[in-house]
Amino acid sequence: MKRLPLAAGTALAAWTLAAPLFLERGTLNDVWNLAFAVILASAWNILGGFAGQVSLGYSAFLGIGAYTTVLLSLKGINPFWTLPLGAVLAALFSVVIGLPAFRLRGPYFTIATIGVGEAVRVVASSVSFTGGSSGLRMPAGAFDFTLNYEAMAALAIVTVGIAALVRKSAFGRALAAIKQDIDAAESLGVDSTRFKLGAHALSAALVALAGSLYAINFQYIAPGSVFDFRLSLAIVLAPIVGGVGTVAGPVLGAIVFSTLQIKLLSVPALRDSYLFIYGGLLILVMLYEPKGLVGLARRLVARARRTPAPPPEAARAA
Amino acid sequence: MQDIAGVLVNTVISAALYATMAYGLAVIYGVMRIINLAHAGLMMLGAYATLALFTRFGLDPFLSLLVVGPLFFLIGVVLYRLVVRRLPRSGATPSMESLLLLFGVWLVLQNLAYVIWTGDTQSILTSYTMKSVPVFGVRVGVPSLFVFLGSVLSLVFLNVVLRATYLGKAIRAVTQNRDAALLAGVDADRISAMAFGLGTAFAGVAGGMLSSLYAFTPDFGRSFLLKAFCIIVLGGMESVTGVAAGALVLAFLENALGSWTTLPTSLQDAASFTLLFVTLVAFPQGLPGLAARVRAAFK
Amino acid sequence: MPPEPLLSVRGLTKRFGGLTALDDVSFDVAPGEIYGVIGPNGAGKTTLFSCLVGALAPTAGEIHFQGRRIGGLANHAVVRRGLVRTHQIVRPFRDMTVDDNVSIGAHFGAGKRRGTDARRRTAEVLDRTGLSSRARDLAGTLPIGDLKRLEIARALAAEPACLCLDEVMGGLNPSEIVAAMSLVRSIRDAGVTVLMIEHHVHAVAGVTDRILVLNFGEKIAEGPPHDVLADPAVISAYIGDEEAAS
Repeated sequence: MKRLPLAAGTALAAWTLAAPLFLERGTLNDVWNLAFAVILASAWNILGGFAGQVSLGYSAFLGIGAYTTVLLSLKGINPFWTLPLGAVLAALFSVVIGLPAFRLRGPYFTIATIGVGEAVRVVASSVSFTGGSSGLRMPAGAFDFTLNYEAMAALAIVTVGIAALVRKSAFGRALAAIKQDIDAAESLGVDSTRFKLGAHALSAALVALAGSLYAINFQYIAPGSVFDFRLSLAIVLAPIVGGVGTVAGPVLGAIVFSTLQIKLLSVPALRDSYLFIYGGLLILVMLYEPKGLVGLARRLVARARRTPAPPPEAARAA
Repeated sequence: MQDIAGVLVNTVISAALYATMAYGLAVIYGVMRIINLAHAGLMMLGAYATLALFTRFGLDPFLSLLVVGPLFFLIGVVLYRLVVRRLPRSGATPSMESLLLLFGVWLVLQNLAYVIWTGDTQSILTSYTMKSVPVFGVRVGVPSLFVFLGSVLSLVFLNVVLRATYLGKAIRAVTQNRDAALLAGVDADRISAMAFGLGTAFAGVAGGMLSSLYAFTPDFGRSFLLKAFCIIVLGGMESVTGVAAGALVLAFLENALGSWTTLPTSLQDAASFTLLFVTLVAFPQGLPGLAARVRAAFK
Repeated sequence: MPPEPLLSVRGLTKRFGGLTALDDVSFDVAPGEIYGVIGPNGAGKTTLFSCLVGALAPTAGEIHFQGRRIGGLANHAVVRRGLVRTHQIVRPFRDMTVDDNVSIGAHFGAGKRRGTDARRRTAEVLDRTGLSSRARDLAGTLPIGDLKRLEIARALAAEPACLCLDEVMGGLNPSEIVAAMSLVRSIRDAGVTVLMIEHHVHAVAGVTDRILVLNFGEKIAEGPPHDVLADPAVISAYIGDEEAAS
């Protein structure tokens, strides 16, 4: 039973990487969006799910990655080199905000991150070198979608892999301890601030990388799109609905939301109802299953196990 | 200096509105330790409700507050009974579940507004929208003046409720010491419902007043929500005076920045958010905490 | 020549606004001692521990551990220096296994163990505290007796030079108390100095070398158990006998 996620994940990863060979452009776009969602959800989950520090300001890191890429590309630098730089800048910024913000607990931290996200958006819209509210366009040039797609898919696989590694490591256990009882963790030697900063920086860097690839793909960015609060919110919904604190949860959540988005956009009547659906899902999850889809699945499995015992062979095979 | 008079007058006027806005959040937090992110959506709905009353019945936006207030009180109680009450409460500490839950409610409210009124920018134009009068030598828009009056009346009403009614005393008791109040026989569920209703009513009324001052869309409310947070963090949630103090500080900062620097309006908002951030981090107890520490230092 | 005290506290004071929880408390603990801390409810015992390990910042006073100042250091830093405490009301990480709970101490405590080294340390500690059979169980499913042992196990895994136990015997039945006393002795025999807050005065008398008595935040007695427990000031503090105090 335990091997299932790993096997499924590897199969999914292989399929995603090989997709350009057999999928047409339209569907490939959808998979690109899915990969994008998976990166954001899994990266956010490292701080938000594992460590329990819910940030509603992650669009800032996406925007930093996107803007670094566009601004430097406009100066003639190969976009490829802008990726690591964007990641580093995002990580640095995350530390700058984190140092004061992590002194706050729970919901207060969350509110502070809303403030930061908004402040960043407002500054980006007002300052001229970021192109103000009208945004910036990538320099004209050859754009290879397949390359961008493969990069995004690879990044998604790497991100999920990193999340899995973190979860099993001592670092991951420290984050879990911080989430459950930060003072008890401190009383056992866990420097909670350092770990929170580390998780924040790691996830910020990953999100920035996704932002850079996003900018290259769409060729045009504006504060309204990359720094938008709605984006911060979308980043948070997937892992919460999927199941925070697990590796599969964010991936599941990303798949659910990506598919939802595609379906919603194709039915004109429902197109404007996405907020209603997102909001409704959030409400349902918080009221009935805070551990998300993964939590629900586990509960159902546990309940199924409590029914009259299956024949011994079946139990051993499970 | 002419400038100072302008800044001061505008500060007081803005502060009254901000206090009304912030109080809606403070009462819910004080009684239930819930951070009501739906407050933004409720303010937005208040604006739209006022618009609806104005376009349908030609009701003056300020008179319609008399309808919006009680209506939103009911909406708040219903919202509490339907949704908020079902949350497993963690008690003394604010919970992430309630925050996210109310976030979900905010999204639903936004969608509701999009569906009913579309995303077009709306505004309310009355015969006096463009007029202004001199106050202490400063020209103040008539709507702003009415907003000030409306806010002051709401806050006076609030003070009366808090001091003279059972509900008000129960709210103050639970805010200051939940366990003691419960032991004294306060019905937590009923008071929570009333508090949620009161908070929602204030959100609606604040939104209604904002609709006379600003153009709005269903996305409206976020920056005001952040200002409200800023105020209750600054001023503490224990008292109306605390909220008023916080409102004054924020309003002063905004107007000072607007008058005395060349900072564009949009960046002024960023200044408010930064203030929130700094306050949360530097003095989490807000001004009351700071005042208490100052008093202790001088003992 | 008496050995250099392992823990040295001078003038420790802690005020919360108008309330003075600790008032000018001073004492030394020698390496290898089992040192008891007793006093009526509200005497400031847990506050004392919190100040020692850095969970609370003292209002005034000096704390020296192994010759170095630790007053003002954060909790996690003090743990790294080798001073660890348990909590009176246990605080297990309920959604993690017993094994993972203890490993936190092994990884992040004074031992700073890594990988297999940490796993070995964790297994050792589980063995010593009798929790090996429960290693893979979720902490949230344990009964209170095992939770208390888990609390101690986690702290031990952090390899303290000095372990501060806060009412480990609270809520235990007589045979459990005897087992706990024996565990405390074995901890000391392994080279760890022990401070223990206890309400079970007789249990603490049976296992400690010296006892400190607090009342209303002040030190009112210190010495070998027999002397301290016969001290009229101590008796009256517990019984509230005004006559005996005069």
